Amino acid sequence: MLYNEPSPLETRVLSFRFGLPNSATLDTYLATRGYEAFRKAAGMKPEEIIEQVKISNLRGRGGAGFPTGMKWSFVPRTSPKPKYIVVNADESEPGTCKDRVLMENDPHQLIEGCLIAGLAVDAHAGYIYIRGEYRYLIEVMDKAIAEAYEKGWLGKNIQGTGFDFDLYTHSGAGAYECGEESALLESLEGKRGIPRIRPPFPAVVGAFQCPTVLNNVETYCAVPAILRDGGAAFAALGVPKAGGTKMTCLTGHVNKPGVYELRLGFPVKQMIEEVGGGIRQGRKLKAFIPGGSSCPVLTAKEVEGATMDYDSMAQRKSMLGSGGVIIMDEETCMVKAALRIMRFYAHESCGWCIPCREGTTWLRKILTRFHAGGGTRSDIDLIGDLSRNMLGRTFCPLGDAAAMPTLSIVEKFRGEFEDHLNGKPCPFERAGEMVTA
Amino acid sequence: MPNKIEDVFGVAAAIAKGMGVTFKEMMSPTVTEYYPDEPAKFEERYRGAHVLQRDANGMEKCVACFLCAAACPADCIYIEAAENTETVRISGGERYARVYNIDYNRCIFCGYCVEACPTDAITHGHGFEVASFNTSTLIKRKEDMLAPIPPGAKPPVIAPAGGPAAH
Amino acid sequence: MPDLVKLTIDGKAVQAAPGTLVIDAAKMAGIEIPAFCYYEGLTLQAACRMCLVEVEKMPKMMTACTLPVAEGMVVRTETPQVAQARKYTLEFLLTNHPLDCPVCDKGGECELQDMVFRYGAGESRYTEEKVHTPEKQFSPVVFFDAPRCILCFRCVRICNEGMGVGALGVIYRGVLSEIAPNHGDHLECDECGACIDICPVGALTSGIYRYQTRPWEMQHVGAICTHCGDGCKTTLGVRNNRIIRGNNRDHSGINGEFLCIKGRYAFDFYDHPERLQAPLVRKNGKLEEVSWSEALDTVANRFNQIRADGGTFGVIGSNHTTNEENFYLRKFAREVLATPHIDHHRTGDVTALVDALSGKTGRMATVADLYNRKAVLVLGADLAREHPLLSFQIRANYRHHQAHVYAVTPGPVREDKYAVASVRVASGGYFAALEDLRARLKAEPELVIVFDDSFKGPDVHRLVEFGESLGIPVRYICLVDYSNSRGALDMGLVPGEGGMRLDEMLAADLSALWVVGANPFKGTPGVPGSVARKARFLVVQDLFLTETAEQADVVLPAASAYEKSGTVTNTTGEVQRLKRAINTMGAKPDLEIMGFIARQMGAAGALGPWVPETVFAEIRRTVHGYDIPLPEIDTGGAAPTTPVNGRVTEAGGPRPDLIRSDHNGLFASGTLGRYSKVLNSVLEGRLDR
Repeated sequence: MLYNEPSPLETRVLSFRFGLPNSATLDTYLATRGYEAFRKAAGMKPEEIIEQVKISNLRGRGGAGFPTGMKWSFVPRTSPKPKYIVVNADESEPGTCKDRVLMENDPHQLIEGCLIAGLAVDAHAGYIYIRGEYRYLIEVMDKAIAEAYEKGWLGKNIQGTGFDFDLYTHSGAGAYECGEESALLESLEGKRGIPRIRPPFPAVVGAFQCPTVLNNVETYCAVPAILRDGGAAFAALGVPKAGGTKMTCLTGHVNKPGVYELRLGFPVKQMIEEVGGGIRQGRKLKAFIPGGSSCPVLTAKEVEGATMDYDSMAQRKSMLGSGGVIIMDEETCMVKAALRIMRFYAHESCGWCIPCREGTTWLRKILTRFHAGGGTRSDIDLIGDLSRNMLGRTFCPLGDAAAMPTLSIVEKFRGEFEDHLNGKPCPFERAGEMVTA
Repeated sequence: MPNKIEDVFGVAAAIAKGMGVTFKEMMSPTVTEYYPDEPAKFEERYRGAHVLQRDANGMEKCVACFLCAAACPADCIYIEAAENTETVRISGGERYARVYNIDYNRCIFCGYCVEACPTDAITHGHGFEVASFNTSTLIKRKEDMLAPIPPGAKPPVIAPAGGPAAH
Repeated sequence: MPDLVKLTIDGKAVQAAPGTLVIDAAKMAGIEIPAFCYYEGLTLQAACRMCLVEVEKMPKMMTACTLPVAEGMVVRTETPQVAQARKYTLEFLLTNHPLDCPVCDKGGECELQDMVFRYGAGESRYTEEKVHTPEKQFSPVVFFDAPRCILCFRCVRICNEGMGVGALGVIYRGVLSEIAPNHGDHLECDECGACIDICPVGALTSGIYRYQTRPWEMQHVGAICTHCGDGCKTTLGVRNNRIIRGNNRDHSGINGEFLCIKGRYAFDFYDHPERLQAPLVRKNGKLEEVSWSEALDTVANRFNQIRADGGTFGVIGSNHTTNEENFYLRKFAREVLATPHIDHHRTGDVTALVDALSGKTGRMATVADLYNRKAVLVLGADLAREHPLLSFQIRANYRHHQAHVYAVTPGPVREDKYAVASVRVASGGYFAALEDLRARLKAEPELVIVFDDSFKGPDVHRLVEFGESLGIPVRYICLVDYSNSRGALDMGLVPGEGGMRLDEMLAADLSALWVVGANPFKGTPGVPGSVARKARFLVVQDLFLTETAEQADVVLPAASAYEKSGTVTNTTGEVQRLKRAINTMGAKPDLEIMGFIARQMGAAGALGPWVPETVFAEIRRTVHGYDIPLPEIDTGGAAPTTPVNGRVTEAGGPRPDLIRSDHNGLFASGTLGRYSKVLNSVLEGRLDR
């Protein structure tokens, strides 16, 4: 099922099957060049597969943007231990909803991506870790996997290539933290979802203490396209240091929110105005989050001339992240935005390390009080100060993810905080609107 | 000659000045205290015999943290702690002093215990008549030092062990 | 030895072995890096973020507890950034920490207090409401106050890794995260209390010590646990002649941080209401309280009379009394009473082991060997229940050195979890199982063999033959039950030429039977049921009115191990010194009682002074293997004895049938265990019976 009308500006490489009748079935998949890439990869040497992925400039789509080919090359192929393929489908980043449409509309693409990754690192088993809230997707994936087993695309000696591969789905239990790769592995092993100390990285010591390739759903989904048409063709779609397209989730105050597959380097202005159909009721842009709530917030001025790629966002001291674009118009209360974000992180902090566990809750409490009109001038500095002291000091990136947007909001929209002090309560809050923060 | 006149006036002035003090003091209230016929008066800050305070509910403020005993330079405070239970609730905290003794043979009234107390349980009262011919009477027990239960407060819950709490 | 890594910490040149963590390297150089979650020997956590330090060429601050040293590394631990980070971490920690230090049992020895004092901010900017949850009781000995918890997860790790129990876990998440027991609302575990000891704050507190006193109010006396034969040091907190708590936070003694429920809590038998506090003499068929002088005179006069009449004496010694007392008792029996009828309840065949190893040196393993040697073979015993320290050592050896553990036991044991081979055997099947393992054992570089009373007499010889045939260095531990079982044997509480054994003495028509700290009439294992006394005069020295004491003519109240000085020898033959912690009114140390009896008999001259130090000096001179370095044991250490290096023959030949272990579990300890409130209060104790 599709949730939005496709846009003519999209470059549909991963999503070209979306909208086809029965797009999730094996028949449709095979009829549309499905498993072509796997057949090709099965005839290649593992190094050649990895080389193609490297050439494609594919960077991890989960948020950190680590080059995928390089990640795969870290896996010790010769290790006597079994190797595993793990798919991070714990898509919980606020503003992000791309993996869900990928799995729902084209599950076989993900299966094929896993198979190719398996060939590349000599893995014979894979796990798809799906967030607990995506229960219906587990059914979709299980159905696709069962179909693949039935038709010989999974299991022993796949299509006579001599390659064995088993694929399983695993349900998360609704923790954002388990989207962090090492916490995901802990959870997959049946333990409490808390991050691990790194190094060693999962490529060397991952699931069940064995070498593991762990990538985002979208990353795996891009792999068949790379192998099918060659890494260079994929690379050419994007910008020099990052190849291909990005499933971009346009959310917030745009007229046509939805998931659009855009080339990397797509101009932000065009994305909002043309793909997203402009901001609701013709209002102006106030704040822009490029890749999920963990990224520092950009002001309208800062996003002028920006393009949707890693470097452009890094220049603006933000991140492309997972592609979960959040657009806020001028009617948005930024204190409330900060509070909403912090409520999420305080709720999702796993409790492992002190700055994150205590910091997020403390910030949530201050912001709640502040937004309700009980703030003081010193609170504004305190919010920034606490965020700065979480930044870079927590065990895993969740603390940074909570600190960065808060810090950017309090620095860039300080005036609004001051306004809250003067015009208590929230000047943007209109009667009848939700005050549940 | 003028010297003599000056002398007379000088002496007269001195007498007048001296008598001035006398007359002034005759007018002002007396400071002499008729102790022991009348009770002695004290400045607020006078450090006399200790009083163990209660809170508004009549609970003992002392939670037997031993900080007074630790602070005491004369080592004159002896405490045994016990835990408040459902049936026996003596203090506001989890713990109370089952035994609280101050040895006035040794106490130097320095006030360190009062300073150390985190719950303001021990204070200096104005009691000063602690002298005795028998040193064994100088060890004051908790019961000797406790402030009275404030009027209207419910007394500490003390029910027979195992029985329900008194209401 | 690999080359040392050179690095700089705070301008100090430091050398450390590769793989050393920066936090440890700094400690060696005398630089303190604060940490809550880091705990030597447990898995790394990096959760508390207190140990963040600046490292040159690293973009952000690193946790010193996870960072291994590297050549040329430059670490700074006292920069403004580091100091600020520590201050903020503490501020974060204190946001939800109740400041109830005055009533908190940890107040005064709390790591959080210390850290805030040293690194923290005096004032908090936190003005919001704190998270509060009510206190919970996990078990009679473990209480948990969640708001105080700083979630360092030390308790979870020590329980899982150190004890191999894994009874604690974490529930909920974020700021609501909470330590939870394995059975939802209560714990079912070893009840060892290691979680309480390791807790840096007052979140986990002891049900026994709870609200009793403050840490600085106690004197701390290093005693040796009087329950099982492992010889753990337990540091007793004493106030006003009362033992208030036992722990081993200073990690002194052979047990390091380890203590089981018995060592930590089961000192409480000493003030049991049934404790004897006055001598009893049977008058008109009833035991009546009398004065010490009357009781001593009664015994001395009767003993003298029997001596004059040429009657026979039987003497039964104890597994709990000190070496000095056992030595003095033997000397008393041999020289004053002139009797060869001496024995005690034997729980392991050490004699046979020493005999089998005659001519060889350095073959008796110590407690430390179980941690350091590369392979351990456990035969018969369920160590986690019966010898928890040895089990702990083996577990630690596996965790830290990946030691190979072999368990050949009748039932499932805790070692199974990590043993390279677990074999279940029926009695009599041991040697077949050993032959099956021979090839694998041969491949080990070295081995420690631990066996219990499944191996007796000829079996021990056969086991040693097996061990010697492996062609690798093998050391042995013969398990014995009680705190001085080994010492009783070493001090010679065994029959002399023509002497009767324990069972024979009970059945014989003796003129007098003298039982010191034992309860043979309870029906000692190997001896049928509760026996009626045959001896015409029965003198018993004990703490309680046991089945034996009830039948006595004279009962003399004895002091417990915590009420006297002396030395004891543990199951691995290591000698440690007892220090008197308290006095119990009316009771006297057995040595003193024996000395007084000797004096009243007019025989004291032959025995010498009944002063522990003097007797021990004589032991060092005369008992083989006890010539141990005094500084070692006088400074609280344990000195291994070197047993007899020659054939040991027992008068009358070996009697393996008399050797039987009581196999006391974690919640039982012979007669003493019956009088411990704690051992009887915990749920597991009732289940374990």
